[in-house]
Amino acid sequence: MGTNEIVEKIRSEAQAEYERMINEAKENAKKKLEEVRKELELQKKRFIEADERKGVEEKERMIRAARQHARKLKWMVEEEMSEKAFEAAMKRIKEVKRAGFKGKSYQNILAGLIMDGTRSIAAEGSEAAELEVLLSEEDVAYLNHSLLKEIANKISQDNGVKLQLSLSDERVKSAGGVIVRRKDGKIEVNHTFEQRMARFSTGLREDIVKTLFSRR
Amino acid sequence: MVVEALKLIREVEEEGRKRLEEAKESVARILKAADEEMMGLTEKAREEVKRIAAEIAARYAKEGEREAEMIKKAAEAEAGKLKATAASNLEIAVNLVLEKMFGLR
Repeated sequence: MGTNEIVEKIRSEAQAEYERMINEAKENAKKKLEEVRKELELQKKRFIEADERKGVEEKERMIRAARQHARKLKWMVEEEMSEKAFEAAMKRIKEVKRAGFKGKSYQNILAGLIMDGTRSIAAEGSEAAELEVLLSEEDVAYLNHSLLKEIANKISQDNGVKLQLSLSDERVKSAGGVIVRRKDGKIEVNHTFEQRMARFSTGLREDIVKTLFSRR
Repeated sequence: MVVEALKLIREVEEEGRKRLEEAKESVARILKAADEEMMGLTEKAREEVKRIAAEIAARYAKEGEREAEMIKKAAEAEAGKLKATAASNLEIAVNLVLEKMFGLR
């Protein structure tokens, strides 16, 4: 091999190594960039999916809040109108005392409540009992001794007991209604209107809501 | 003659070493440029994701607001109707309360 050939061989080998190194570096760089691009695309897809889920959750939260507000609004209307019905009923009591209700005088209404209270106490079992009726100052005028005697006689007969019913000197603070109690104070039935409303409030409220909001 | 030949060969070998040095430098430049491009791509992707996230959030918030508004309006209209129905049934409800109060029911 001549000198020129040796020189040429060294040059061409050096050039070949140069090109190999450059090409390898370019190839590696290209491969890395492709991997990074793929990884970034994948990450982007995951982030977008997560953001979509968050977006849907936020939208659903807003809708849930709106529905809750709607339920609250309906409940507030029910409360407001039920309260109006109760207030109107309490205001009507005075008119009922004067003119009666559905063909019944206020005296008859009181008599019915006294009868119910007396029956409840009579059902407790004693053979004889002395009961008294408590009224508001305003309602005393609607009751008389003969009516109480009539009620006592009827229940005595019906229940086979001996009952005495009298009007107490004690007065109650109430819009109306009665309290019937044994004179020894051991049993008492409170039929004042306020107490009856409190007792029936839950069930009555449901009935009132049904009545108020049924479309006829 | 031989001495000159050896000198030439040494010179060419030196050229070859320089060429390899150049290659190493080029490789370093290529890899650095690739790294910078990768960082650029990452930054660009981050900004794109941020922009898309904002668009998605705004789109769903708008949809949510629209549907919530519809529900609210429907509820207000329904409340108005309920009040009107209740007002027309008030007398019946008052009688119901009185019947229960007076022990007639």
